[in-house]
Amino acid sequence: MATIVVNGARRDVQSPADTPLLYALRNDLDLSGPQFGCGLAQCGACSVLLDGKEIRSCVTPLSAASGKEVTTLEGLPARWAQQKGLSKADAEKTLHPVQQAWIEEQTPLCGFCQNGMMIKATELLERTADPSVDEIKEAFTTSGPSPHLCRCGSYKAIIDAVRHASTLMAKRS
Amino acid sequence: MAIQNEKSVNVFGATLTRRQMVKAGGALFVGFGLVELSKDNRVEAAVAKNSLNPALPSSWVEIHPDNTILIRTGKSDFGQGTTFTAYRQIVAEELNVPFEAITTVLMGDTDRTPDGSGAFDFLGRGTPNIRKAAAYTYQALLELASKRLGVPKDQISAKDGVVSGGGKSMTYGDLVKGQQLKLTIPVEGDLTSIMGLTVTGNPPMKPVSQYTVIGKPHKNSVIASKVAAREKWATDVRLPGMLHARMVHPKTLGSKLVSAGELDKTRFPNAQVIVQGNLVGVVAPTEWEAIRAAQQVARATKWSDWKGLPGDANLFTHLKQADWKSTPVAKSDKTRGNVAPALSAANKKLKATYEMPFMKHAPIGPTMALADVRADGTVHVYTHNQNPQALRGELAKMLGTPIDNIVVRIFPGPGHYGRSNGGNAGAEDEAVLLSKAVGKPVRVQWMRDEDFQWSTQSPAALSEVEIGLDAKGKMTAYQIDHYMPAMQDDRPVGAVLAGLPTMPPPSEKLPFPASTANDIQDPWVYDGVAVLAEHGHGTAQIGQKESPLTIGLRDHSMRTPGQFQQNYPRELAISEAAALAGADAIQFRIDHATEDRVIDVLKKVRDESGWETRPSPVANPVSTGDQPVRGRGVSVMFRSGTYWACVCEIAVTPSTGAIKVEKYTIAVDPGIVVNPLQLKRQVEGGAIMGISHALLEEAKFDESAITARDWRTYPILKMSDIPDVKVVLMNKPEVGAYGGGSEAANALAAPAIAAALHDATGKQARRLPLKPEYVKALLKA
Repeated sequence: MATIVVNGARRDVQSPADTPLLYALRNDLDLSGPQFGCGLAQCGACSVLLDGKEIRSCVTPLSAASGKEVTTLEGLPARWAQQKGLSKADAEKTLHPVQQAWIEEQTPLCGFCQNGMMIKATELLERTADPSVDEIKEAFTTSGPSPHLCRCGSYKAIIDAVRHASTLMAKRS
Repeated sequence: MAIQNEKSVNVFGATLTRRQMVKAGGALFVGFGLVELSKDNRVEAAVAKNSLNPALPSSWVEIHPDNTILIRTGKSDFGQGTTFTAYRQIVAEELNVPFEAITTVLMGDTDRTPDGSGAFDFLGRGTPNIRKAAAYTYQALLELASKRLGVPKDQISAKDGVVSGGGKSMTYGDLVKGQQLKLTIPVEGDLTSIMGLTVTGNPPMKPVSQYTVIGKPHKNSVIASKVAAREKWATDVRLPGMLHARMVHPKTLGSKLVSAGELDKTRFPNAQVIVQGNLVGVVAPTEWEAIRAAQQVARATKWSDWKGLPGDANLFTHLKQADWKSTPVAKSDKTRGNVAPALSAANKKLKATYEMPFMKHAPIGPTMALADVRADGTVHVYTHNQNPQALRGELAKMLGTPIDNIVVRIFPGPGHYGRSNGGNAGAEDEAVLLSKAVGKPVRVQWMRDEDFQWSTQSPAALSEVEIGLDAKGKMTAYQIDHYMPAMQDDRPVGAVLAGLPTMPPPSEKLPFPASTANDIQDPWVYDGVAVLAEHGHGTAQIGQKESPLTIGLRDHSMRTPGQFQQNYPRELAISEAAALAGADAIQFRIDHATEDRVIDVLKKVRDESGWETRPSPVANPVSTGDQPVRGRGVSVMFRSGTYWACVCEIAVTPSTGAIKVEKYTIAVDPGIVVNPLQLKRQVEGGAIMGISHALLEEAKFDESAITARDWRTYPILKMSDIPDVKVVLMNKPEVGAYGGGSEAANALAAPAIAAALHDATGKQARRLPLKPEYVKALLKA
């Protein structure tokens, strides 16, 4: 049993405190963004933002999220709206520029890993507004607990999308 | 069934029947243009319950009164994008409607799609089922328009979903509203076989010169819903009262259960252990309790020991000694001339053996399935699977029930690149057996290690090549012998463990798909060679006969299946032969090709990569030191109607053996490019997967089991490893057909990278993967 703040809302979760955050998000809160990929913090499919920092929800106990702000893929549009001070009406029809770029670049193939890729991109772009290709590669390969892995080989499409998202964010700010 | 005033006409192989009021089973029969199918519409007796009647056009294409259109396909799309883009474009083209008119694509669900088959050959060599079904439907629309507008059919024209003739016009929606018109679409085949049903006959199809939708870069609609977290994935499906499960798989690929571990009820009060034969599973109301309880039970479970595998260090010695005699040898239809005298007359000869390890499909998410075995005997499975009708057949066989009782619903999931094209990916049958045992819906999720250790693999292979060159450096004879264990084990592993009926394991005595035969999969493209012998040798899967469970190293097709195993040795050998001849590797290929499209794709990749024409290796090859040295290599392939060529430029550091692919150029000639945007992304992905195969991938195993268990023991390519990738699409409408684009790219890298290593260093690698330790040792030797 824990109370966590997810995508801006306080939520009571019935699961025991040692339950990995991933299962609490998926099973207790019906969120479908973070996916189970390895359960070992080796792939990044389960990533969420915890106080703005990318973590692997498959190995993070629910207790570690207590009192902190969790943002999942579902929460990216509201995160962007809040950062930009958009009206509620505008916020509801706006995707996060990262999501918009992922669609415009047609980045996903199977798409199963892309939750983590978009979370990582959001973390990166909040820190570095205009990352170089090398900085993007570094972020997705060495900055976290493990590289973000894509089995379909969408890495080039991800780089294209991060660059595009950077442009979209600059335009919209 | 009472039919009044029936008048049938034959339409290019289909039967078109106009009926006034038709009663079938007491319900009004509305064959064409209907919005919802009800069970009573299925009047053909031969169609199973919980199936669509493939003879009905509305099973394929539904035109609604509001002019929107729904299409249905048995093909399940797991990232190819074809069903959401190319299929919509193809149908829109044949029906003369805009792309956007096709608002819904239903795929895979066994009770809601007509034709079955796997996630391969989506474009059907230019005529996928959905294209013919749409073409028949269009003819029926013209017939109907002729009647409604009172104008002969040949004076009706159609554009953007509106028919016109005799100065009148009408939308398709108005045309079909309230009509009792039935078109019978002819099909043949077996719904729950690997290949599913095929639409037959020859409906007229739109000439390529009139295409307006095909060739445009339409976006894949499912991408937006996945990115916005609106898509329901297989992993998201929940049913009331559902239990979570984790499996306790055997200790080895041949271990039998001695005793199942006792559950610690004080720690896991709500969990339950299910045992059936050698199948052990643990269910609990919450996922975390199921995981921890399964771990506790696994520690307490006793299995017999088994050692029946050669171990990866002895793999190729084992393969050389395997029984290749019991399986008939396959020959390519291009085999010609007498090889032995041609080789002995040769001026120079290449004789080499090439080795490819077992690889894993390695989906980024382990397989999962939710099953609901209901009291009425029906079985409902919710999963991510590339051949749901074949899975349906396998589940029916396992349970001894007609397929009528099985419904498989398909949701997006992690791509698994062919592994479930024979029906099952792993967890589906286990979920069914556990649900049946507890009388509740059960969701089985495999863990990462289980996905590596209990799924099928892409089979290892070795190939022996001999090439003869004349004094001018021209190939006069080419002989290749491919050796590969059986590649298609469709048995659901849970059913095998439980001792329940399955289809037979691959055998020397059975036909496809249960055959051990190793057919020639890699079409020969060097028709300038006078003497050619291509042989495929098959054998049983390693450990299958030795395992008390009949399991061993089960194999299944992986992206570019079989052809990857055959094209890698061929293309690497051709590069070696070019070097032996002192010829440029691309010019050498062009000089031995006769087909224009082979030559064109090679010239294109030469131009686009900035290839310098010269022999390999470079003038002063370097195989020592800690400074990177550079080289380039090429490969070519024909697959599913498409011609492919790639150039890889690499840097290798001799002191470490580390290879970095710096630039990758690929030229693709599929004939007509249906959707350049999707094809480009598909090819980029395949290219990157191929570099991963070439540099990193090998499924390690000991005498008992696969030892790969996670992404550290089975590494794949990381973002920092990717080269500059250049995709060059060659649109050739004059070909008049579109070839496939989801495969081949992953196979091209390996022979090109190995040739590039030779180009840079003068040392020839003939084994995959090109890991640093292997390359370092090779360069030292």
